[in-house]
Amino acid sequence: MSDKEEREIQRFMELDSNKLTKGKERELAIQIEEDIMNQNEVLADQINQEFKKYNIKSIDIVGAIGAGKTAIIEKILEKLASKYRILVICGDVTTRVDANRIEKHNAESIQINTGRECALNAYHINQIIKNKDLNNYDLIIIENVGNLICPSDFILGTDKRVTIVSITEGEWVIEKHPMLFKMSDVAVINKIDLAEILETDVDKMINDAKKINPNIQVITTSAKTGKNIDKLIEIFGLEN
Amino acid sequence: MKEKLEIIRELLANNQEIDASKIHILMLDLFKTQFKGLHVENYIGDYPTFIEPVYLGDKVKLGDDVLLGPNVYIGKNSEIGDYVQLTNSIIFDNVKIGANINLENCIVAKDSSLNFNNPNIKNCIIIGKADSEEDLKKISFSI
Repeated sequence: MSDKEEREIQRFMELDSNKLTKGKERELAIQIEEDIMNQNEVLADQINQEFKKYNIKSIDIVGAIGAGKTAIIEKILEKLASKYRILVICGDVTTRVDANRIEKHNAESIQINTGRECALNAYHINQIIKNKDLNNYDLIIIENVGNLICPSDFILGTDKRVTIVSITEGEWVIEKHPMLFKMSDVAVINKIDLAEILETDVDKMINDAKKINPNIQVITTSAKTGKNIDKLIEIFGLEN
Repeated sequence: MKEKLEIIRELLANNQEIDASKIHILMLDLFKTQFKGLHVENYIGDYPTFIEPVYLGDKVKLGDDVLLGPNVYIGKNSEIGDYVQLTNSIIFDNVKIGANINLENCIVAKDSSLNFNNPNIKNCIIIGKADSEEDLKKISFSI
């Protein structure tokens, strides 16, 4: 990554509430923010250890509202629900629309409504797993709250983080949200069936993701037609 | 769920002789067998954080930045103050929990109230009103 890109990402990270404070208040605001981030990382690490102890594969799925996160999870469940014991944790500001959809596919679902918070954090996940018998699960899928900004601040302790964008969000969507792609293992460009009709430059989207994070795996999918869902399952290291 | 809650309610009513371990076992059994799939339908307040399963009775009032769950039951007409966190707990009817209280693995009997700052109250049964930590010691039973 070039210096310019590094600086740009740093600038995104600094656009936080501590800019509204001055002097000692600012020092305190920064300290609190650092403490929260550190505590989240410690907890996320513990969660990851728990998942490993019970041999559970885990995926954190991030993306904007309408990108197709739930639709892709539904497609995955159609293929895997009979082979894996799956828990899906659905994060939303409010409603249990997603959990209701997931329950139709023979998987256990838990809805977290985050209210005023715009991302799930490790505390939310820890509250669930410490109250569950983890012997009962092979795979835990976490669907994060729908947006491409806040989730970059909070890792959840999963094996993989997957960011889903869709063709309808426009070809600049990846370029405009570098932090998430920097922190993701897989980038999914969904609704690929609409690329031609919307004349979207998919190659630009793929290149943007690779430029931000050279190690990221990029895949195009259509939850509607099922295109490349098998490939995605393979990327997750799961057996179809 | 109602039948098991009624058993706990009756055990709490006999506050001369509280069988804390029996009540605790009943609560854990309730969480394990009756809470699956419970979710919030109605409340008075502004978008708290819920981690399912959570059940709220009629006219429960929730303050700002409240976090409920998992395994939380709150009976009708109860009021939960700002910044409260409740986990693995049963709050019966007409209870008032003041601001910034964290309850974990607790049962609060009907008409009780807690009105002081103590972020961490764990593993207890509370029957009555407390305006200080000293008060709380007099009305709580360890589980």
